[in-house]
Order: sequence, then C-alpha cells, then structure tokens
Amino acid sequence: MMVECTRYRTSIQELVDGTLGPIRRAELDLHLDQCDGCRALASDLQAIHDAAASLEPLEPPGAVWMQIAGRLRQEGRVSAPSIVRATPRHRAVLLALAAALVLAIGASILLLLPEFRATREQAGQATTGEGNATDDVTVQSVEAEFRLAEQHYQNAINKLEQAAKLDQAAAGGGIDPQTAAVLQKNLQVIDQAIAESRAALRSEPQSAPARDSLFDALKRKVTLLQDTIALMNEMRKGNPAGGAQLVEGLNKS
Amino acid sequence: MIPSKVTAHPAAATGGPAGRAADMALVERCRNGDLAAFEELYRAHAGKLFSVACRMLGNPSDAEDLLQEVFLSAHRKLETFRGESALGTWLYRLAMNQCLDFLRSRTARTNQVTGTLDDEPGLSDTASRGLAERTVARMDLERALVQLPEGCRAAFVLHDVEGFEHREVAEALGIAEGTSKSQVHKARLRLRAILSAAKS
Repeated sequence: MMVECTRYRTSIQELVDGTLGPIRRAELDLHLDQCDGCRALASDLQAIHDAAASLEPLEPPGAVWMQIAGRLRQEGRVSAPSIVRATPRHRAVLLALAAALVLAIGASILLLLPEFRATREQAGQATTGEGNATDDVTVQSVEAEFRLAEQHYQNAINKLEQAAKLDQAAAGGGIDPQTAAVLQKNLQVIDQAIAESRAALRSEPQSAPARDSLFDALKRKVTLLQDTIALMNEMRKGNPAGGAQLVEGLNKS
Repeated sequence: MIPSKVTAHPAAATGGPAGRAADMALVERCRNGDLAAFEELYRAHAGKLFSVACRMLGNPSDAEDLLQEVFLSAHRKLETFRGESALGTWLYRLAMNQCLDFLRSRTARTNQVTGTLDDEPGLSDTASRGLAERTVARMDLERALVQLPEGCRAAFVLHDVEGFEHREVAEALGIAEGTSKSQVHKARLRLRAILSAAKS
C-alpha cells in the first residue's frame, strides 16, 4: 500500500455509501487503476455492503403479538375486542389447540424439577466453605434486590391469575373441563418447582443457581398464564389461526 | 470498477407529509386504546425491528423478548410521539436503545470484554489478504456481525442492512451524522478483517 493511499480511504467508503461526488470519484478511479491494495479494499467493502443489503428480513413468531396483546389487555391499556362467538366447528378446532397448548407447556414444565434438583445440589456443593468470604453488606443489598424482583414476578402472577379467571368467565366457561384439569395440573407442577426453589433459598440464601432456578420457574409461570389468557382470547374471538400460531410458537420455544 | 450506488431501500422510505399524517392517525387510534390499530402498527414494523434485534443481540430468543418489551414500551410512550420523525424511525430508536441497554447489561453480567471503536484494525493488516472471493456469504456475515462493538454494529445494521441514510441512522441512534459515517466505515473495515481471517 502506498503512503498516499490513506488519502483515499474516506473516498472509498463514500463510494460504497453511494455519496462520492463526480470530481473525487474521477480522482479515486485514477488511483484505483494503479493501486492493487486500494482496489481490493474497495471491492471487499462493496461486497460486504452488498451482502448486508441482501440479508433476509426475519419474521417474529406469532406468539409475540399474542403476548403483547395479552399484556395490554391485562394492564387495561386497550379496549376489549368485541366478543365473537365461535361456531361449533371453530370451537372444536380451538379446543384441540388448547389441548396441544397445555401438552406443550406441560412438557417444558416437567423439565423444571430435575433441572432444579440438579442445580440445588450443585449450589449446595459450591457454597460449602466459602460463606465467610462474602461481604455482609453486598449480600444484604443483593438480597434486597432479589426480594424486589421476586415480588415483581409474584405481583404479575397474581394479576395474571385474576385476569385468567375473568377471561374464562367472559368466554362463557372457556376451556373444557378436561383441558382445564390438565392446565391445573401443569400449574401445580410449576408451583411445586417454585416452592422447592424458595425452600432451597431459605437454606442457602446466597446460592445463585437456586435464584436462577426460582426466577426461571416464576418466568415460566408468567408465560404460561399469559399464553393461557391469549389462547382464551383467541377462542373467544373464534380465531383458529391465531390459536394455531400460539401453539406453534410454544412448540418452537 | 465499482459502480457508485445510491441506496434506495424500502426501510429508508420514511414517508413524506402523507406518510406522517397516516402515522399520526394510526397513533391517535392507538392512544384511544384501539387494539386493532396497535396490531396494525405491530404488523407494519415488527418484522424490521425483529430483524434488527436478532442482528444486534445475536440470538432470536432474546430478540423475541426484546421485541415484546419494545412494543409494550412504545404503547406506553405513544403519548409523547409528536410526529416530528417518522413513526418507523421513532420505533427504531426505541428498539436500538433497548438493544444497547440489553447488550450493556449482558456485558456487565458476563464481564465480556468487547472492543472499542478506537482499536480499528489497520488497513495494512488486511489489505494484502483481502477477501478470497468477491461475494460474502450471508451466514458468514451474520456470524461476523455479532463480533462488532455494539456502537458500530448498530450503525452498520441500520445503514448497510436496513438501508437507512446516515442522517436517519444518526436520528435513530441519537448521534451526529458524522459519527454515523465513521461508525459504519469502521464496521466495514472490521468486518473485512474478521471475514478475511475466517477465510485464511
């Protein structure tokens, strides 16, 4: 590379940007004709720019909108959609979707317990013998932040449970008894994971894996309740496509 | 010889007065609690914002969570939207701020060391090697993108991937137009170094 090449760096970038004026373009062309290094640089930067411009747009899963709509309804920030009763055929499709949703969530929840038990054992081993090295003030401050975060989740769960009950009532009984029973069972499993995480934290308050496990369980409960509300809304609207998107999103996650 | 090219990307078409009026009408319906209007807004912009979030964060799962937060935050902040910029630009700005916050908190959590804009790879290091081919594989580029420092990654994604002009990138990121140019240019050089190293 020639010493004068540094003069042309900006011009090369502006050439790629498409903003290089004709006079400087002519000057740059002269230089590129005699400088292999700058010509290679210009070609490479143009290739990078072209590849970037051709990257495909990515589509978010359908469940994202369902969860946003669920949160907005739950927080009372939007007016409730007009209730459209499902036809018997739609209702049968939606009940099948509800069953698929419950099974998909159930499978993921069942993973929580062994995962949690393993992390609790690791936590027990990891924290043995290092308690004296921990600074009390730091521990207290982390504890306080943790309690706040846990409270935040718990408040969200309480509101969601309330909203789910209201939604079910508004849907005219909502989910059929069999699906409701499976859903209830899944909630019990996740509640058990939450209870075990809390018990572990009481005995090992500094255990990061136990905290992660508790947050994970709380987050899954929030997601389960949000998705349940979203599905009930789709059932109420008689929208099998929306329900299918929701179940598909859950199966991918 | 490389053709001079003026980018004309759909995302960069942020709308004239008619577009702004349509934006304001949609925003007004959303402010009144119309969920269908907000879904319309979501459908119009979610794909682009999700693409940006995926490329900024490096994984779709985090991008989904972030997209949800961006739209919930947008709904809360619609009261403050005055139509001074296009709705799309306003949403990009919200999304980019949340991406950058997320990356900073992830870096803080993992103590991950990222490069700064000052440690630009020297041209002399890479010019002689160059890229082996004149086409860059999209997958290689996607992988290389996440290795960029967050500031120049943001500018590059908006300018070269999404097709915004530097003026719009500056507006979306809250930086000067000259800074946008400088960051995009540094990003390209850094990508060239990463891609060349991967090929050699």
